[in-house]
Amino acid sequence: MSNQNNSYGANRRKVETPHRSPVIAGVLSAILPGAGQIYTGQIARGIGFMLLAASMVGLLLWARTTHEFEIFQGILIVMLVALVLFWLWQIVSAVWGATNRKFASSWGLILVLIFTYFLGWQATEVNLRKFFTEFSDTFTIFTRVMWPWEAAIERPEELTTIKSPWGNPCPEILSEAPEQTGSESSGVWVMVDPPCGELGSYVVGEGLKEGTMLTVRGGGFDPNDTVEIWWEDPIGQEFQPRYQGDTVSTTTDSQGNFEIAFSAPQYQTPATAVGMQVHKVEARQVKSVGAPILSETVSLAFGRMLITIFQALMATTFGIVLALPFSFLAARNLMSGNPFTLAIYYGIRFILNVTRSIEPIIWAVIATVWVGLGPFAGVIALTIHTIAALGKLYSEAIESIDPGPIEAITATGANWLQVIIYAIIPQVIPPFLSFTIYRWDINVRMSTIIGFVGGGGIGQILFQWINQTRWSSAGIAVWMIAFTVSVMDYASSELRKRFV
Amino acid sequence: MLKVEHLTKVYDDGTVALEDLSFEVPENAFMIVIGLSGSGKSTLLRCINRLIDPTEGRILWNGEDITAAKGQDLRVVRRKIGMIFQQFNLVRRSTVLTNVLSGRLGYTSPTWSLINHFSPADQERARAALARVGLTEKVNNRADALSGGQQQRVGIARALMQEPEMILADEPVASLDPVLAHSILGQLEQLNKEDKITVVCSLHYLDLVQRYATHVIGLRDGHLVFEGTNRDILNMTDERFKDIYGQEAERTAAGSITG
Repeated sequence: MSNQNNSYGANRRKVETPHRSPVIAGVLSAILPGAGQIYTGQIARGIGFMLLAASMVGLLLWARTTHEFEIFQGILIVMLVALVLFWLWQIVSAVWGATNRKFASSWGLILVLIFTYFLGWQATEVNLRKFFTEFSDTFTIFTRVMWPWEAAIERPEELTTIKSPWGNPCPEILSEAPEQTGSESSGVWVMVDPPCGELGSYVVGEGLKEGTMLTVRGGGFDPNDTVEIWWEDPIGQEFQPRYQGDTVSTTTDSQGNFEIAFSAPQYQTPATAVGMQVHKVEARQVKSVGAPILSETVSLAFGRMLITIFQALMATTFGIVLALPFSFLAARNLMSGNPFTLAIYYGIRFILNVTRSIEPIIWAVIATVWVGLGPFAGVIALTIHTIAALGKLYSEAIESIDPGPIEAITATGANWLQVIIYAIIPQVIPPFLSFTIYRWDINVRMSTIIGFVGGGGIGQILFQWINQTRWSSAGIAVWMIAFTVSVMDYASSELRKRFV
Repeated sequence: MLKVEHLTKVYDDGTVALEDLSFEVPENAFMIVIGLSGSGKSTLLRCINRLIDPTEGRILWNGEDITAAKGQDLRVVRRKIGMIFQQFNLVRRSTVLTNVLSGRLGYTSPTWSLINHFSPADQERARAALARVGLTEKVNNRADALSGGQQQRVGIARALMQEPEMILADEPVASLDPVLAHSILGQLEQLNKEDKITVVCSLHYLDLVQRYATHVIGLRDGHLVFEGTNRDILNMTDERFKDIYGQEAERTAAGSITG
């Protein structure tokens, strides 16, 4: 390939080719892919084929033995066939090369691509069947995340509640059972029948033993609305008993009365308890009153969003302050004066480049170890990355200033301070501002992600909601992030337009 | 009167830009320095206001050795020498007024400069300077919103703020078209004649030299190869011409504009 478009090379090639035997070239390539090409003088091509063949054999062996993923026999066969065809193809290529014939090189490329993509498909565990058939499982989650507004609204609630005592176990004299006193001056009442009985229990070997069937009657509630039954144990702990797998609730009739039957809940009375223990059965009616208001979720997400924006603000500010001195030290035009400053320049450049190549999320993990979970860890992570990024951008802005005005202002008799104020600062302020706004925009976006590893802000609560499968709440956070980021995006590009 | 004696400049990389240059600029002269690119014209002008420190030799201005000036003395020397540039060297993003006012920095206390303050008298002077170069309406425009010719006139206004006794002009019209070139050099000529400001200007269009110069020097590879008046240019032989511009150079008809 080196001897195209080159009369000297072309002449030499004409002289040399008769001495190259196609047979030797073919045999060499058959023994070691690429060797025949090197023999015929196509050095770069030969080395390329050798490396390709070696990589393909190596990858094939890796694919057979790795436990990272499951490889199907059929795929292995396709890869093996591609490898063999490649081997044959490069033998032919060597023979053709020796006889100085034109050779279509695209077939070799196609074989290598087939090999690569078949392996890549397996290595990344691409599964189209799963992709399409299991989407429906995600669909409910997806819709709740994309349309989470039910969680954004809640209505203030008013609770109507009344309790009635219930004994366990029943006393020997039945009249000593708790008197059904469950009524109030407001006319709300509830009674349990029977007033005492057995609780549900779990006996090893026999399974679940249901408690006494209870009928709870009540009245004085709002008509045609839900009433929930709650249970209060002797030490005052409340819980919602379950009957046939569901919480116990019913709807009042048009007079506001209800009646419901369920079995006494499973409850472990402490062995130290003596005599009848008094539980309480409670009827609750929750009524929404007043206008709908924004839910707790929204105010929580909003508060966290503000924290995130402040995180970005603090990180950007700290970043600017710390990046400024670095940027002057990393500006070649200021530092190339002597070998000492040039060494500092290279040192600072190196540190900035390494720091910048480490993602903020990794800095966040380190920072959470350093200062603990929370927004401050996020600020540290973002600050470190901001220093590195802005330090580089600022130094490039300094490097690209026009030396003309410096010369002109110096010529007017200005001293060095006036030169900085009138010739350098006006030139670097606009790009500095532009880069800073751009960076703030990036920091807002990054701080949402940093919360996922404990960096505080909205990312942290979003991560929590996802783990609790509170998809609607998560959806609200996602929308809030999307809104904030797009507003920042728009504002930052508008602002930058004015400075550039 | 400006007197240059045995001026030599050798750059750090060993380039000899000027070698043993001696000449005089009479009071109120409009001196034009001719020569090829790289002949040392820019270095010479920058040695005069000490943007570049000469390696050897002296420059005497009104009897004072300005090559020895330091600190405040240098500042005082510089503020009496205005300078305009081929690329105008305005702060592009600042307003025209700010650019013009910056010509007054040599007279302004650095403390005032910290808060970007100029006295009302200076503000008035700046407006007057802009009126003189015909840019009254552009006062609050950004410098880079102006055309090349307008930017160079801002440069002249900036130099005027120094109340200069001398103006150095480094290829002031090389970035402008011929019509604008006459307009800018006309301005300089007016300052030279009306305000008695000495002008030292580098150029490479010979017809412009004939039209505006009172005195001419020619540089080649840092050496003085020609010294005379505009009449001498008109009567210059091809041989003299080739001394300045080299053997390959072709002289075009006088009056036309050549590069």
